[in-house]
Amino acid sequence: MSVKAFEDLKVAEFAWVIVGPSTSRYLAEHGATVVRIESFKRLDTLRRTSPFADNKPTVDSSMAYGRHNPNKYSVSIDLQHPNGKKLAWELIRWADIVTESFSPGTMEKLGLGYEEVKKVRPDIIYLSSSMQGRGGPHSGYAGFGMNAVNLCGFTEVSGWPDKRPAAPHGAYTDYINARFNALALIAALDHRSRTGKGQWIEQSQFETSLHFFAPPIMDYQNNGRIMKRDGNRYAEAAPHGVFPCRGNDNWIAIAVMNEKQWLNFCRAIGQPHMAAQKEYATLPQRKKNEDELEKLVADWTGNLTPEEAEAILQQVGVPSHIVARPKDVYEDIQLKERNYFVPLDHPVMGKQSYEPQSSFIMSKTPRQIKKPSPCLGEHNEFVFKNLLGMTDEEIAGHIEDGSIPTEPTGQFKVSM
Amino acid sequence: MDNPGAETALPPYRILDLTEGGCILGGRLLADLGADVITIEPPGGSPSRTGPYYKDSDDPEKSLFWWAYSANKRGITLDIEQPEGRELFKDMVRQADAVLESFGPGFLDGLELGYGDLCRINPDIILTSITPFGQNGPKADYQASDLTVWASGAYLYACGNPDRAPTWIGFPQAGLFGGAEGAIGTMMAIWHRNNTGQGQHVDISMQESALSPNLNVLQMWDVSGVEFHRLGGALFVPSTGVRQPIYFECRDGYVMILVQGGAEPFVSSSAGLVKWMQEEDMSPDWLSGLDWELDYNATTMGQPIADSVGEAVERFTLTKTKGELYEEGAIKRRILIAPVSNTRDISQNLQLESRNYWEKLEHADLDEPVLYCGPFIRMSETPLISLKRAPRIGEHNDEIYRDELGISGKKLGSLKEKGII
Repeated sequence: MSVKAFEDLKVAEFAWVIVGPSTSRYLAEHGATVVRIESFKRLDTLRRTSPFADNKPTVDSSMAYGRHNPNKYSVSIDLQHPNGKKLAWELIRWADIVTESFSPGTMEKLGLGYEEVKKVRPDIIYLSSSMQGRGGPHSGYAGFGMNAVNLCGFTEVSGWPDKRPAAPHGAYTDYINARFNALALIAALDHRSRTGKGQWIEQSQFETSLHFFAPPIMDYQNNGRIMKRDGNRYAEAAPHGVFPCRGNDNWIAIAVMNEKQWLNFCRAIGQPHMAAQKEYATLPQRKKNEDELEKLVADWTGNLTPEEAEAILQQVGVPSHIVARPKDVYEDIQLKERNYFVPLDHPVMGKQSYEPQSSFIMSKTPRQIKKPSPCLGEHNEFVFKNLLGMTDEEIAGHIEDGSIPTEPTGQFKVSM
Repeated sequence: MDNPGAETALPPYRILDLTEGGCILGGRLLADLGADVITIEPPGGSPSRTGPYYKDSDDPEKSLFWWAYSANKRGITLDIEQPEGRELFKDMVRQADAVLESFGPGFLDGLELGYGDLCRINPDIILTSITPFGQNGPKADYQASDLTVWASGAYLYACGNPDRAPTWIGFPQAGLFGGAEGAIGTMMAIWHRNNTGQGQHVDISMQESALSPNLNVLQMWDVSGVEFHRLGGALFVPSTGVRQPIYFECRDGYVMILVQGGAEPFVSSSAGLVKWMQEEDMSPDWLSGLDWELDYNATTMGQPIADSVGEAVERFTLTKTKGELYEEGAIKRRILIAPVSNTRDISQNLQLESRNYWEKLEHADLDEPVLYCGPFIRMSETPLISLKRAPRIGEHNDEIYRDELGISGKKLGSLKEKGII
């Protein structure tokens, strides 16, 4: 049996969609008990997002939701209901950490904002994550992950100079934000263990994500240069790009990072004379003639499969990798070695593959995914009875008065 | 959340930072939280002192990359490949909580500075290793760059225009993810050590980080057998194959507008957009009469209506700037609009200014202060430390070697002569 770093840690998760749920997964896969407080009325957007197991869209069959929530418990509470609010407070009293990611002011309106919680639990660690933070003229801005990708500058520098920007797919910055949150939570735990004090952690996803773009911003502020998109080129290497291979939409990424690799690359593609040719002999020359250089590379890759090109280039030490397609990662020998995909039986969806959130394996407290993502309200009994110590009668009373809803309200709508 | 004079989240845990590239972000984040992070550069300076440079000076002391990601660290130089350098490093490991490194797997073992070696010096030491594919396995020794690691995560395949090669994000991201994971893994290991007295080895795979942003793309394949194809920013509805345009050209660039129907909040947002267009006589009758709930429902609509709506909306956006569309459209009218910001727009953003985001820092050798990104998060009791400039090459050599390790001036001189420091 392996030890877990956060064995006794308890998290009450009001946060939803991606940022909050991805944050708590770091803790959940290292032993923490994470209870998601969910609503049948206002479904987590991911529960309405495809793909659905067996193509049957229901509240409990989305693997978009599944991917972001293994190892967690789910309770269904109506937070608008006075008795639902009581349950929320029970969970807050139980928890070490509370997370929420609603628009600023939402938790406050429910009477569950940090200042209220602090009065009862001065040692709570309370994380609020919103797109643009509290205060300021844009605080109430509607927070879809895709908006942040554009605001933060990632879209502008993605794609080709002669084309419209090609935005990084999906809610890219959410996956940056989760990491900074997890780090701040552990640091706050460290602080609390020494001082007994809790605190409020407030995230503007916009401000956090800019740390993944800081040098280009400083380049503008100090040099007046506005960064543009430029395909897959990189100032300090050539060739550096994604090249077409045999077959339909097959590609390989190649990055020749120094002169030794350049020499080896020329030999590997059967053009040893090219290494010293004056158009390509040095990096500045290769950058100057990069269009022609890329054509020569594409001529070579075009006759090979991505796997063949990768094998040839790796053999001579040139950084290269197939541009993995979704199917490829499920067969990736390295991911298999690290047990990246974890198959688990879900009560509604059947056998599904889950991924860890932590991109690391700790030698003494390794990550572990042992529970599939929860069905909505699946753990009402377990949480209220076993974790909070309520009686069967009390729970039945909450179900009766509607503060623990157990049925979807209205028709289930797929969002995309 | 101003809290001057507050304590830091972390005590001054001693972190020895040997990482390079984007991974240097990890040490920076721990330093922001209060750790004592010492970056160890090879004599002559770190290869991570890359461009862009301050005022395009091409000077490793003016690398903006280094400034951004090594701020708040102390810095020394040391050649750990030489025996005497190795011994000095071991002396530092005795007093350290964690070592962060991003060499190829086995490199430190070759210097007898691997996890097992470090444990013999300091049994509860934490070693955090950040590599493209992890310490073991068939790809552990792969040659890789930020782009090729990105490619291995399948997210690259989901990004870019459909008729050309997939494209990355122009500023390399995989190393930064590795650095952030390094900070998290290190803190988890410190937490565990504080509770049990046990150190450990944290083995990070940047490939796994590069899989993370895929949202539902992998599951679409695994669950439904649908392979997602990049759309250059359009919205793709798998059930119908319709592509809904959501990026529109405007007077000074592009904006994204989530022109969607079917359900809230999209119906109200799209109706609000049409109302604005009507006020400016730019909505054709058919568009004004469109029922966003029924006629523009992703699960039933066809491609022609998506194209027509896209063209009409773009005729309107072409009359406005990003700023106008954002302030008037998104903030006042609550339409789901986001500007495609460039680095100038970000630098002039009102919200960031209003939250006093930017940190101004004096550099003694420069005439003007330099602006930095502000705190990565706001913590009420333990605000992140106020910014200190990234170290110059060997800036803290005397402070650390002489004052803290007690190495004599004479010995320091000899180490310098041998090129170890």
